[in-house]
Amino acid sequence: MTTYIGLIPAIPFLGFLILGLYGQKMHGKIAGYIGTGAVGISAFLTFMVAARYLNGLPEIKSYTVTLWQWISAGNLNVNISFSLDALSLIFIFVITFVGFLIHMYSIEFMAGDERFSKFFAYMNLFVGSMLVLVLANNMLVLYMGWEGVGLCSYLLIGFWYKEPENGYAARKAFIFTRVGDTAMILGIFLLFLNFGTLNIHQIMQQAPEKWMTGSAIATVTAALLLGGALGKSAQLPLQSWLPDAMAGPSPVSALIHAATMVTAGVYLIARTHILFALAPVVQTAVAVIGAATLLIAGFSALAQHDIKRILAYSTISQIGYMFLALGVGAWSAAVFHFMIHAFFKALLFLGAGAIILALDEEHDIFKMGGLRKKMPVIFITYLVASASLAALPLVTAGFYSKDQILWYSFSSQSGGLWLWIAGIFGAFLTALYSFRMVFITFYGEAKTEPSMKVGKLILIPLVVLAVLSVLGGLVELPQAWGNFRPFSNLLHNVLPATTIHKKEGLEVVFELISATIVLIGVYLAYLFYIKKPWLVKSYEHSRLNEFFYRGWDFDKVYDVLLVKPIVWLAEIDEKDFFNWFNTGVSKVALFGNRVLSLTQNGKLRWYLMSFAIGIALILTYMIYR
Amino acid sequence: MTETDFLSLTPLLIITIAPVVIMLIISIYRKYEIIFGFSLVSLLTAFVSLFIVQPLLPHRIDHLMVFDLYSLFFLGIIFFSAFLIMLLSHDYFKHLEGFREEYFIILFTATLGASLLAVANHFIIFFLGFELLSISLYILIAFQKKKDYPLEAGIKYLILASVSSAFLLFGMALIYTALGTMGFQGIADAISKMGVASPILVIGFGMMMVGIGFKLALAPFHMWTSDVYQGAPAPVSGYIATVSKGGVMAVFIRFFFDIKGFSNQDFFIVISAIAIFSMFVGNLLAIRQQNLKRLLGYSSIANMGYLIIILLIGNNDGARAAIFYMLSYFVTVIGAFGVISLLSTKNREAEKIEDFKGLFWKRPWIAIVLTLSLLSLAGIPLTAGFIAKFYVIFEGVKSGLMLLVFSMIINSVIGLYYYIRVIAVMFSTGEETTKLPSLSIIGNVALTMISISILILGVYPGWLIDMIMKLVAL
Amino acid sequence: MILIDLIIVLLIGAILAWITGKWNSVLPRIISLAALVVDLFLIIPEVVGAATNQTKWLVDIDLSWIPAFGINLHLALDGLSLMMLLLTFFMGIVSVIISWKEINKRVGFFHFNLLMTLTGVVGVFLSLDLFLFYFFWELMLVPLYFMIGIWGHKNSTAVAYKFFLYTQAGGLLMLISILALYFIHGQTTGVYTFDYLQLIGTKMPASVAFLLMLGFLAAFLVKLPMIPLHTWLTEVYSEAPTAVLLSALLLKTGAYGLFRFVVPLFPFAARSFAPVGMVLGVIAILYGAKLAFAQTDLKRLIAYISVSHVGFILLGIFAFNEIAYQGVVMQMLTQGISTGALLIMAEQLSERLHTRDINQMGGLWEKVPIMGTIGLIFTMASLGLPGFGNFIAELLVLLGVFKTNVTAAVLASLGLVAAAIYSLRILQKVFYGRKSKNWEIHDLSIREKLVAGSMIIIIVGMGLFPKPVLNIAKPVVLKSLNTQNDSAFLKSQESKTKVMAENTCFLKPLNR
Repeated sequence: MTTYIGLIPAIPFLGFLILGLYGQKMHGKIAGYIGTGAVGISAFLTFMVAARYLNGLPEIKSYTVTLWQWISAGNLNVNISFSLDALSLIFIFVITFVGFLIHMYSIEFMAGDERFSKFFAYMNLFVGSMLVLVLANNMLVLYMGWEGVGLCSYLLIGFWYKEPENGYAARKAFIFTRVGDTAMILGIFLLFLNFGTLNIHQIMQQAPEKWMTGSAIATVTAALLLGGALGKSAQLPLQSWLPDAMAGPSPVSALIHAATMVTAGVYLIARTHILFALAPVVQTAVAVIGAATLLIAGFSALAQHDIKRILAYSTISQIGYMFLALGVGAWSAAVFHFMIHAFFKALLFLGAGAIILALDEEHDIFKMGGLRKKMPVIFITYLVASASLAALPLVTAGFYSKDQILWYSFSSQSGGLWLWIAGIFGAFLTALYSFRMVFITFYGEAKTEPSMKVGKLILIPLVVLAVLSVLGGLVELPQAWGNFRPFSNLLHNVLPATTIHKKEGLEVVFELISATIVLIGVYLAYLFYIKKPWLVKSYEHSRLNEFFYRGWDFDKVYDVLLVKPIVWLAEIDEKDFFNWFNTGVSKVALFGNRVLSLTQNGKLRWYLMSFAIGIALILTYMIYR
Repeated sequence: MTETDFLSLTPLLIITIAPVVIMLIISIYRKYEIIFGFSLVSLLTAFVSLFIVQPLLPHRIDHLMVFDLYSLFFLGIIFFSAFLIMLLSHDYFKHLEGFREEYFIILFTATLGASLLAVANHFIIFFLGFELLSISLYILIAFQKKKDYPLEAGIKYLILASVSSAFLLFGMALIYTALGTMGFQGIADAISKMGVASPILVIGFGMMMVGIGFKLALAPFHMWTSDVYQGAPAPVSGYIATVSKGGVMAVFIRFFFDIKGFSNQDFFIVISAIAIFSMFVGNLLAIRQQNLKRLLGYSSIANMGYLIIILLIGNNDGARAAIFYMLSYFVTVIGAFGVISLLSTKNREAEKIEDFKGLFWKRPWIAIVLTLSLLSLAGIPLTAGFIAKFYVIFEGVKSGLMLLVFSMIINSVIGLYYYIRVIAVMFSTGEETTKLPSLSIIGNVALTMISISILILGVYPGWLIDMIMKLVAL
Repeated sequence: MILIDLIIVLLIGAILAWITGKWNSVLPRIISLAALVVDLFLIIPEVVGAATNQTKWLVDIDLSWIPAFGINLHLALDGLSLMMLLLTFFMGIVSVIISWKEINKRVGFFHFNLLMTLTGVVGVFLSLDLFLFYFFWELMLVPLYFMIGIWGHKNSTAVAYKFFLYTQAGGLLMLISILALYFIHGQTTGVYTFDYLQLIGTKMPASVAFLLMLGFLAAFLVKLPMIPLHTWLTEVYSEAPTAVLLSALLLKTGAYGLFRFVVPLFPFAARSFAPVGMVLGVIAILYGAKLAFAQTDLKRLIAYISVSHVGFILLGIFAFNEIAYQGVVMQMLTQGISTGALLIMAEQLSERLHTRDINQMGGLWEKVPIMGTIGLIFTMASLGLPGFGNFIAELLVLLGVFKTNVTAAVLASLGLVAAAIYSLRILQKVFYGRKSKNWEIHDLSIREKLVAGSMIIIIVGMGLFPKPVLNIAKPVVLKSLNTQNDSAFLKSQESKTKVMAENTCFLKPLNR
């Protein structure tokens, strides 16, 4: 068992090494098969591990494997060690399984790219790092994975490096997340100084004993960790890097910027939920940030033209839901939504990638249209995924996961009406923008002809993910529908159940409301974008929509507040202010030299005069001192 | 005159007889190599005779001269330096047109002057040596009449040295007026009995300072230095920088230690001011200097500043450090002037810094010697200068002369700039067409001796320091 | 005698390289490589000893040199100096290999200077006699000066002066302190000696100790270099041919000096200086980062990165705890390698392109993918990505500093963000983006790949398996912290500074 846990991240790393060292020499798609194979093996191992883990329940709730002692300095002892429990199991399942599908997809998608092998090397490195992140049993190893995925994100966003814009997008992503990471490392320091260990399990055990609920230290620590989560998960105010991150190839967007890495923040908060529970202020902040983000991103998604940017804002918005869930203490609901979101959002990105590929790099949905008939498989899978995103009642997995969040946002102890209203309005927006995207892309008259047919390696992952986007929700039914909840039961080995303080009977009512609102959203989308497009014409061109289109001008704010001052500071002092010291000293010396050189004029009378002055001074001093 | 008197005078007698013999030889058979060989042998004999004299120490000849370990050591330094300069002069004067053998005669008389200063214990000998040295130097400086500057330099030196001698003599006279004695011991006794110094006495000392300051080239009596260094033949410049200063230094240290001059607050302040002023003036003047001989002249001003700083400590330790410093400075500076002498041709002096461009790549050996000398002047490890500077700072810190130590450090850094500037030129890789003369065996021997001395003093100075410790117990 | 052998091998190698250089340009390279390899193998057996020996000096030689002053030829090796030597020999070998074809003029003299510089560096790392230390400290300047001046780029002579004058000024101030310490020790105990071990714990008034410490600091902070004494470094980096050596070794001698001399000799003065030291460290980190961001000259940029990294060393030294000190040791090693590697890359680029202006580069990845990959790896290392040694170093330093001074740690951690900004700018400007010119350049040769590969292995190795290094450093770190406790008899005089140093954790009130 423990060997397998170690192997799960090790094999993608091995794949990375092989591809990194020898990839250049591989012909054809061999590199792709190696990369996919490595993740496939990990996925296979994950299934085996999962089976054993479930077998071992409820006696053994977690397995730990220590590989080697990493750091030992003073009282800081850190091992490279992994630990598997229900939470990490769900994450590694999503990472390896969805990762495997996306790798498979990429073999065809990236075929012919001059850096084919490098792509798979990076992807494998990413999967390995992500697995390290979720399997880590101490904060520092987690941080190593955390930064590792950041690196891969950077590399893959800027994969097509010849366009400077891609490079800038990659840098932006790295720096934004680095800001959060820095807060997080400070949080880790605080944890270490207070608990003398970085082992997550031990910290979580000691925290309630050592820290009072609401104490300053708990609040500060949780807030710092939250900083890391906000950066990685693209939540307010660090969200604006994610839309730009779409510069990377579509499989990258699917894997990193939808399914896995961006949900690392969710994982972190869930993993350290005890700290957040000790800091109610911060936890509330998580909920509020989630709610605000999901709305802001929802509006922006509605304004986009680029299919991938719609999906990017949608991702921000959906992660906002997860944060909302975390903020109200619905831990397992957040993880549930993470999983379902991984399925349908990966599918959406892969579908979008397939469309873009087929249409020769066309990103603008308004230049697409009528693709329904030309690429039926893609259309159907895309439709399924959009429905799941919009949480179409009953038939989609997204419905089950999102509704759980909406219900808890109202009913849980720290939930409330306003949070629910934000959530439900967000759900409406989601339905609106996702079907806007579907209708504009696939219906209406065709504006661009597909230049190629996509192959099996692309279609198989789409279909598999589509199935999961529909059936995935069945692992967890609403509480009111009888007690079929294997997913949260599994998670309750790690995460506490949500405490509910509202009447349970209300749940069905709320579900009805949200179902209705989603349906209204879908209908309105139909009305606005197929039936009567002139209804929204004026809005589409309004300044408000432009504002949403620009992502609420967050970039402008950062530009004015941070980028410009820093660049200004750098430019005014490019030559280094401290050089004055050198020039000053040499000037003084040269001045002395010039003055004294005047006396060295070769004239004897001057020399004699200096004699005279010298003796005069000496004698004057000696006599009249 | 007893037998011991004669015996102890042997070294000086050899130096006195040698020029007479040379004159005789010249009148019989004028041959450069013979004269040169004889001069070398004479100097060597004089040097060796120091060891013969040693068992007789200490010995006084009336109140005029004193032979003790100290004066013997200084004689050694003077003879050794003169010996090296003589070696270096061989090539330089060989191609000179006209009478060149007389050079050695004058060199001996100058050396005799310096030696007299080293053994002086009385104003008479002091002044005798001082004048003998000065007059010989006028001739030496102007020896090469055909070149541009020697005559000018000689006349400048003549006038200024006369003025300084006049001051010195006047100062001595005033002291005699005040104390009625001219022997160092007598002066010391009279002063210690007197209590409050009379103005006449003070003026007397002040005027003597001018004379000594001139010879040591201390600011503000330094102006002649670079002009004379530039004008004089390179070996003679080296001679002025070493032998001449060594002799004056010897008498200066002895006289001021005898009369306990450094414990006098006024002298202390005047000499510190002169020292600090000399350092800054010398170093600042040198930083943009393009003529190596002038540069070494300015550098010598600064170095004499460092040197008298350490005398201000006023005890044996200070004197020891000063002597070590002086010795290493002499070796070093002879190296620098030696290189200039050896690279100079009949028609032109190799004195412009640009003449040395790329020297290292054409004549590595000679460039290494000059590099070693310059590094030693800058006080870089493995060279004599490093230990010397260390020793001086060591004693300075020990006695708490922090102002002086710090100004020395500032000046070391300034000094470093112009020393490495020269080195940089030697190592630069530009094209250079200047023809360089080839080195003779004698020149090579001299350079080897100098390099070895610089390195030995830099790496294993312990024996010399021990020796100085034994010698200098004033 | 192994320690003397180390130095003698280098000296003989230096002279042989010079002599043979007259006939053949390959021989000097082989000789200096051989000398360094021999030294490396001489020292490797000691690693085993270092891993087990916890307290004593591994090797200790004490010979008389200038007895009149109490100067001895006292060389000794402990874990710290051992690691520094390993780094020295490794970087020496790297420099020889890197310059194998690039230095083709006056090869013999170049290798003479290279080995002489290393002799000085090795001496500095081994000396336990303060005079000897000063001797080696000054000794390394001249050959280095020649290397910069002769084989550097067009402004190198002026730059070499600057370097020389700066370091010399600092060195002389240190000399005064060394001498003052010598006399104070002599006057209080009657034993006049330059021996480091005897001078530790010299009793002196706090104000005097502080002044003496400033003298030492002057020398070490110039070498580090600390802002505002750093301007020589940036120019040397941009002009010197083998800046590799400088970054890896020269800067380390400064850090080593702080570690070996300042802290143990002046434990309390160092503590009272700690607030200033930390402020300087933070300024170095941030100001260096800011300037790195502003540069367009690739090598200057790397110089400022180095300035920024050195801030961590300074910060860690003045944190006075084990974790921070371990971090400092790590930083000394890893920074040497990562900055060294970046400089090698910069040098290779500027040799191929004949420009160092990053605005003229761009899109080079297509032409030189291997160089790009290596550049990527080392920029990531230098921005402190986990998995590289630099991360461990910065982590430990920050954590240690966090324990004593939260504000400093927080400000310094901003440096991590700044590092991301300036490091990625290199990648963007050099390797990514559009081609600004159609450069015709070739990728790394096998020789260069070999060097880069070994450096990658080391830096990743130190990132993933830092334990051997930490273990070897541990006794040294504890020793230098313990000397502070040993000097407890000075407590009464120093009570004020002591309280200040202990009462720095602002988190205490936050704890329940």
